Amino acid sequence: MKVGDKLPEWTLPITPTLVVSTAIATRDFQDVHHDRDVAQAAGSKDIFVNILTSTALCERYVTDWAGHDVQIKGIAIRLGAPAYPYDTFTFTGEVTEVTGGEATIKVVGSVSLGDHVVGTVRVAA
Amino acid sequence: MSAPALQQELVPADVHAHVMAEAERIKAWGEAAERRARDDVNQPTINNWLEAMGLDNPRFKAGEAPPSMAQVWTMYGLGGKPADDDPLHSMMRVLTDAGFTAVLGTNCEQSYDRYLTVGEQVRVTTALDSVVGPKATGMGVGYFVTSRNTWYVDHPDGTSERVATMLFRVLKFVPKARSKDAEVPA
Repeated sequence: MKVGDKLPEWTLPITPTLVVSTAIATRDFQDVHHDRDVAQAAGSKDIFVNILTSTALCERYVTDWAGHDVQIKGIAIRLGAPAYPYDTFTFTGEVTEVTGGEATIKVVGSVSLGDHVVGTVRVAA
Repeated sequence: MSAPALQQELVPADVHAHVMAEAERIKAWGEAAERRARDDVNQPTINNWLEAMGLDNPRFKAGEAPPSMAQVWTMYGLGGKPADDDPLHSMMRVLTDAGFTAVLGTNCEQSYDRYLTVGEQVRVTTALDSVVGPKATGMGVGYFVTSRNTWYVDHPDGTSERVATMLFRVLKFVPKARSKDAEVPA
């Protein structure tokens, strides 16, 4: 792992099933993640991906690239555009720092409305 | 110094003073609202998460839990609610009552001391880290509220081991579109 290494782009269709199954699998029962009527009444276009899943998808993206033995030390994300069903995630990433036994990978997960998540994943290196 | 003048334009001085005084009071609670996970770290919950996320890693079928599941174990569950002494929700209540009714998650920073293993039970505490504002954002005028969660595993010998931490930041704001008819009460 060296600075400038790029991760292959990864796309993931955002289906209603993805939004609901990941919300429930993260034990997040907030209705805006599974009930469209409630989400729309609250001013949202639709149900949307929850924050624990945004973090988890960064974990998956880096793990799929770095390999099963990667030791993840931290995931820090800034949230932007909401991720609604029938959109698509496009993840890109790049190693930005390698120091003191740790590498930092910058990850961007974008949707049609803009960047959904911009984050860094720290891994043992 | 232009900051005080800007604050006065965004939020009445007495409202701002009240918000910041409440923030100091709640910050002083330190790590509070301690809770234990309903269930031990367990394989069925890990399996559901792996299926939903589409992550296939044999490590997570052999006793280890995915690191970003740290928070999952202590989620409130269906119908669960934060305790009255929860620092994050106490601060959110102060801001809601002051007219900052909307909420938007903006940042989540998790650090993992180690991966959890099946059979462990985690415990979490919540502290109010900071309240910053008022800020005029694209969403409306509001305050950034940052909380800090710390997860522990307690060992039979009486020691507690920190296993993960999280800084979580939300914007509590007066929605821009409605800011004219939803003025901050003085």
